[in-house]
Amino acid sequence: MFTDSIILPTGRILVTGSNGFIGTRVVENLLARDCSRLRLLVRPSSKLDKLRKILETHPAGKDAEIVVGDLLSREDCKTAANGVAVVIHLAAGFDKNFAGAFMNSALATRNLLDAFLGSGQPGRFVNVSSFAVYSNLKMERHALLDETCPLEDAPQERYDAYGFGKLQQEKIVRDYGQKRNLPFVILRPGMVYGPGKPDLSGRVGINTFGFFIHLGGANELPMTYVDNCAEAVVLAAFAPGVDGETFNVVDDERMTSREFLAARRSARPFFSVWVPYPLARLGSVLWENYSQKSGGQLPPVFNRRRCAAEWQGNRYSNQKLRDRLGWRQKIPLADAMKSFLAQYQ
Amino acid sequence: MKLRIAIIGCGKIADQHLLAVRRLPGCEVVALCDREPLMAGQLGERFGIRACFADAEEMLRTAKPDAVHITTPPQGHFSIARLSLEAGCHVYLEKPFTVTAPEAAGLVQLAGEKKLIITAGHNYQFTLEMLEMRRLVAQNFLGGRAVHVESHWPYDLSDPSYVSPILGSRTHWVRQLPGQLFHNLISHGIARLAEFLGDNVQVMAHAHQSPRLQSLGGQEVRDELRVFLCDDAGTTAFFSFSTQIKPGQNFLRVCGPKNSLLADNSSGTLLRLENKSYKSYLAFFLPPLVAVRQHFRNAGINVSDFLRGRLHHDSGMKELIGRFHESIRTQGAPPIPYREIILTARIMDEIFAQINTPAK
Repeated sequence: MFTDSIILPTGRILVTGSNGFIGTRVVENLLARDCSRLRLLVRPSSKLDKLRKILETHPAGKDAEIVVGDLLSREDCKTAANGVAVVIHLAAGFDKNFAGAFMNSALATRNLLDAFLGSGQPGRFVNVSSFAVYSNLKMERHALLDETCPLEDAPQERYDAYGFGKLQQEKIVRDYGQKRNLPFVILRPGMVYGPGKPDLSGRVGINTFGFFIHLGGANELPMTYVDNCAEAVVLAAFAPGVDGETFNVVDDERMTSREFLAARRSARPFFSVWVPYPLARLGSVLWENYSQKSGGQLPPVFNRRRCAAEWQGNRYSNQKLRDRLGWRQKIPLADAMKSFLAQYQ
Repeated sequence: MKLRIAIIGCGKIADQHLLAVRRLPGCEVVALCDREPLMAGQLGERFGIRACFADAEEMLRTAKPDAVHITTPPQGHFSIARLSLEAGCHVYLEKPFTVTAPEAAGLVQLAGEKKLIITAGHNYQFTLEMLEMRRLVAQNFLGGRAVHVESHWPYDLSDPSYVSPILGSRTHWVRQLPGQLFHNLISHGIARLAEFLGDNVQVMAHAHQSPRLQSLGGQEVRDELRVFLCDDAGTTAFFSFSTQIKPGQNFLRVCGPKNSLLADNSSGTLLRLENKSYKSYLAFFLPPLVAVRQHFRNAGINVSDFLRGRLHHDSGMKELIGRFHESIRTQGAPPIPYREIILTARIMDEIFAQINTPAK
C-alpha cells in the first residue's frame, strides 16, 4: 500500500473492466501493493480463468470479491459500488456504432457515478479515457501533444465511435465533478501495447484492403507498455492533491512507427506497403469528399480528422504524470518489447 | 410541404434511419425521443436536432410530427405505435413489427380505422436485386404461381459485440422475447417468404444450439433454425437461419413452373434460372457459360449502380422509407401489403410456439 494515500488500507476499491487487457494488470499491481479489499466487476459473459489465476498467485487475492454485472443496469452498479472508496473505471465500449459506444461508455459511466455517489464512500473516481479524445487537426506536424491540447469537436466527422464514447464519458465525469463534487482523476493512455493484444494500432497502419498499409512512417508513437500504464492508473487512484486533474500516459522510451513495425515483423514477417503522409492525406481528403457528395455511399472511414489524429505525427510528454503522480517507467522498452513480441512466437 | 418525421428510440438503428431520411427529398426529422434523455441528447447533438424528448406522449403533443419511426426494442412497439396512430401519425415500425401476431393485426386495423399508413422495417425486401426480382415476377418470368420458395438468413458470431450482451444477461430485452435471438433476427427472412405464400400456412420448425454458441456461454439460447412451410395452394417454402454455415448465405430462391430466380442479398445479385434443355454433352458445357455471362452482367450492373449512386449499403432502407413517405403523400397503398406483415407475424408466432414446446 502507499504511505501517502487518499484512502485507508481498509478502503474498498472497485475495478471495472478488471478482466480486460489493462484491468488484469491493474489488479496485479494492486495485489502486489497488498490491496486486499478489491471488488472486481466483470461482464456476465467474461471468461475469468486469467483473473482467477492472478488472484490465486497473490496472497492478497484471497479476499478479492468478483462481482458479475452490467454497467447498463443501475441495480448492478449499486451492488458494485456499495461501500466503495475508490473506483478505477476501466470498462470500455468498443462498439463501432455511435449509439452503442455512447451507451457502453457514457451511459454506463453515468450509472456507475450515480451508484458511487449514492451508496459508496466517494474518495476518488479514476476515469480511464484515451488519446482518441484529442484533435490535432489544427496543430503543426510533430507539435507537442499534451494535456492542454484541444479535444475533438466533431467525432462524427472523424467517424470514430470509440473516441465519441470516451469524449462523452469524460464530459459526464467532469460534469459530476463540477455539480456534485465528485473527486475524480482522468487518465488518457496513448497506444497501450503488451502480450494479449496482438493487433497493431491504427497509428502504425491499417489492414483494411487485405494487406498491411504502413501509414505511421517516422512518427513517434505515444506508446505505453501495459504494466507501465497500469502503474499510472494505480498511482492516480491513491495520490493526494490531484483531484480534477487529467494525465496523459506515455512511457519515457518510445519508438517510431517504422521501428515498431520492423520489430513486429521480425517476430513474424508479413507483407506491408508504406504510404507517405501527404499521400495518405490526399487519399483521406478524396475519400471524405466522395463520402459527403454521395450521401455516405462510402462511409467516411478515411477523413481529414482521422488522418491527422493517427498519421500526422506528434511529440508526446509524460512530464505531468512524473511530476504530479511520481510515475516512473518500471518496465524498460527492451523488456517490454520482448514480452510483446513473444506472443507471436 | 416537407414531411415532418419523429424518431422514437435512439439506439443503434436510429442512426441508420436518420441517415436514410436525410438522403430523401421532401422530409426532415423534427424530433427525437428516448426514455433515456442522454440517448436522445447524443443523437440530437450529432445530427443537429434540438427537439429531444424523454416522453413519447409529450413529443407527439409538442412536435406534432406527420410520421413516426419507432426504433425501440420490440416490447415497446405495440404501445408506442398505438399511441402514435391515436395521435394521427403515420408509423414506420422497425422489425420485428410486434411481439405477437394479434398485436400486429390490431395495429393494422387501427391504422385502417384512422386512415393512416403503417409499415414494417422489412427493408431487405427493397434492395436493388429484390426490386428486380419483383419486376420479373410481375412479368410472369416464373410462368405462374411460385411452386417453392427458399430463404436463407445468416448471422456471424465472429463479432461478439451484438451477441455477447445477449448471452451475458438473462434480462437483456432479446432474451425476454418469446423467440429470443431468432425473434430479433428472422423477420427479414420470413417476410420475403410471406410474399409468395397464401394466408393459411402450415409450419414445421426445428431449432437447436450450435457448439460455437455453447462455447460462448449460450445457456438456453438457440442459434440454428430450420422451418418447412406449406400453404393451401401447395406452395412450399423452406427457411434457414444459421450462425454456422460458411460462407454466410443470405438468399431467396423462388422456383416457378417455368423458370426460377435466385436473389443473393450478400452480393446484391439476381440470377435468372431459365428452363432450357441442351443436346447431349452441351448440357455440361453451355449452362456454366450462361451462368458466367449472368455473373458478368450482375457485376456490371452493380458497378454501374455504384457509380450512379444507386447502390448504397442501406439502399433497401432508403427505398422503403421513400415508398412509405410516398404512400403518405399520395394516400396510396402501403409499401408492404398488410397481409404480408400479419402473415409474417403469424408464421413467427407459430415457429416460436413449436420450438418452445418441449419435445414429447
